[in-house]
Amino acid sequence: MKLQGYLPILVVTALLAVVPFLSNSNTLYNFMVTSLIIALAAQGWNILGGVAGQTSFGHALFFGVGCYTAAMLQFHFGINAWLAFLMALAAGAGAGFIVGFLSFRAGLRGSYFALITLAFAELMRILANASEWTGGAAGLLLKLDPGFANMQFASRASFMWLALAFVFVGLLISRAIAGSRFGAHLVAVRENEDAARALGVDVLTVKLKAISLSGAMTAAAGVLYVQNFLYIDANIGFGAWISIEALLAPLVGGRGLVLGPLIGTFTLHGLGELTKTFAGRVPGIDLMVFAVVLICVVAFASDGMLGLLRRFAPRLAKRIAL
Amino acid sequence: MKLVETHPNRRTILKTGAAVLGVLSAPSVLRAQAPASIKIGILQPVTGALAQDGEYGRLGAELALEDINKAGGIKSLGGAKLEMVFGDARSNPEAGTQEVERMQEAGVAAIVGGFASPICLASSQAASRYDLPYLVDVGVSDQIVSRGLKNTFRFAPGFSLCTAAAIQNLVRINEEAGKPAKTVVLVHEDGLFGSGLAKLMATELPKYGFEILEQIAVPTPSRDLSNVVLRLRSLNPDLIIPSTYYGETVLLARTMQQQRVRPKAVYAVLNGAASNRRFVAEFPEAAEGVMDCNHWYDPRNEKSKNVQARVEALGKPYNYNIPLNYSSVALLADAIERAASADRGKIIEALGTSSFKGHLMPYGETKFVNGQNTGAAPVSTQVQKGAIKVVFPQDFADAKPVFPANG
Repeated sequence: MKLQGYLPILVVTALLAVVPFLSNSNTLYNFMVTSLIIALAAQGWNILGGVAGQTSFGHALFFGVGCYTAAMLQFHFGINAWLAFLMALAAGAGAGFIVGFLSFRAGLRGSYFALITLAFAELMRILANASEWTGGAAGLLLKLDPGFANMQFASRASFMWLALAFVFVGLLISRAIAGSRFGAHLVAVRENEDAARALGVDVLTVKLKAISLSGAMTAAAGVLYVQNFLYIDANIGFGAWISIEALLAPLVGGRGLVLGPLIGTFTLHGLGELTKTFAGRVPGIDLMVFAVVLICVVAFASDGMLGLLRRFAPRLAKRIAL
Repeated sequence: MKLVETHPNRRTILKTGAAVLGVLSAPSVLRAQAPASIKIGILQPVTGALAQDGEYGRLGAELALEDINKAGGIKSLGGAKLEMVFGDARSNPEAGTQEVERMQEAGVAAIVGGFASPICLASSQAASRYDLPYLVDVGVSDQIVSRGLKNTFRFAPGFSLCTAAAIQNLVRINEEAGKPAKTVVLVHEDGLFGSGLAKLMATELPKYGFEILEQIAVPTPSRDLSNVVLRLRSLNPDLIIPSTYYGETVLLARTMQQQRVRPKAVYAVLNGAASNRRFVAEFPEAAEGVMDCNHWYDPRNEKSKNVQARVEALGKPYNYNIPLNYSSVALLADAIERAASADRGKIIEALGTSSFKGHLMPYGETKFVNGQNTGAAPVSTQVQKGAIKVVFPQDFADAKPVFPANG
């Protein structure tokens, strides 16, 4: 019974892991890596925004903290990439804790919470853009030096597997939460905060745990981004794009569900990429498809792709323990 | 408009196709076989915030490829044609790197373009994984050529070259006019570009006898600059040096016009608007007299006049992206010609030893040192009677500076 919940995760990960054996195309790897990074950021969002119901519009904050911590530690102090990664995770969790402490203690919920997270991310974007320490508007550039110790890989497939491993761990954590007491508390807070409090749930602590975990996970995505592209500036790290990506993927895939972010990312970007291949000459066509998918999901499948599955194939949905 | 633009291309393709067919069907005794075409990656942001600039860049590259192929392709490779593989960098660095990967798969011999510094930084690094030659068209960040990447070359001047030239030109123009300008106010955007420039100006200009009255930082984007202009009015400087992007420069110039603030000159450096034909066309009164130190084509160059006429026949303004990309592609074609090979290592070597002169820019002979063309230099331009004229250096000037611009 318990293991059954983990089966879909194993199957999906295994399917994604064999992709490098099917094709040797770097375009495909790039698509996979970018999608996996976004999926990981979205998984972070999903814990706070999906399971705990605290809609954040500023996950770029955590993504950027991850990016910049990893990049600056390596750039200014020459710290080992893996160590920098661990410190970036801690920084992401710390940033989550601070934002959570300030906003949740003040009782901010719903759109007010969304706005305050957006404000934090924008604040950091402006700071990162102005400070010399972060390279200002010119950004930071890490040296290309492939090697396991530097968390850089000459082969694109290796990096894809690394990103997949991160996503896998993210899925395991999400799954473990879903079946735990902590997960039940999160859902209780989402459904009715006052009722949860009345039943003895320490709402503030639960929310703080959720936002710290969420921050760390999204920061991990930021580290992957830096290690892959080796370049970071304020708009990449703290720009609204990643906040939106992290938020859209779970909405399209299935908000609050373990596999939601991953499926959402691949639905949105996969379709975009396919159209780019088939209708490549028209600039922006993939963005149009992206928009159409989004509108359709919001209009016809408000529970996302997995929600659709649940509606049209309830038995299958039950079997894979949604 | 699209139709007009692509029509001649299609025709040339048909013609080439017919020619290839003809040659293939000829008896093999002739030993004539069309040499395989060489693929050139053209990377420009044609969607997103930088789409306007990207379109100009693409047009420049397309025109250059068309001309090279018309003139018989790469002669040392038996007249091999250059074929464009276009990539949309979507105004962000990761889309740029993705396109580099796609081009790598398509088997390009080299890549030209990028436009914005972040795109150039990321894309050239991605290209260096494959030793793929990368020619930067515009990106001015000094970092681009200071990373020791062997594959990366920049034909245009970078940030430090531009600012040094801007200060020199200003000093010369001021001296020739009998030193009418003494006091300066710097208006700069608050990012690295603007504040970096302002810092440099604030340390350098006093050495030449200028007095910096104040440095005013403005955010990007700004919606209202009335307070800044009021401050300018009370300071009443001889010279205003704006280092801002397109929107803010236009806003500043218009607000100054409305409030009748008339300094002796507005002298911009690498400005987003002051040498953009759109600004001059849309706000001729506000733009009149504004000077800029920026990339610009050589107005006396016959080849450039020809390209300009063709661009204008398409109903497009001849902005600096077009001649820069045209020249970069021509420079690359020259390198492939001399390398007599589409091999990447040989092209990189040929680029490194280039002394190319057939470009449209006021640069003289090309000479790369660590990937930067040391022959490159910006020019000072001024808006005079609704046209952008080169006023300095004199070797390339098509007008004399009006300095002071306002009485």
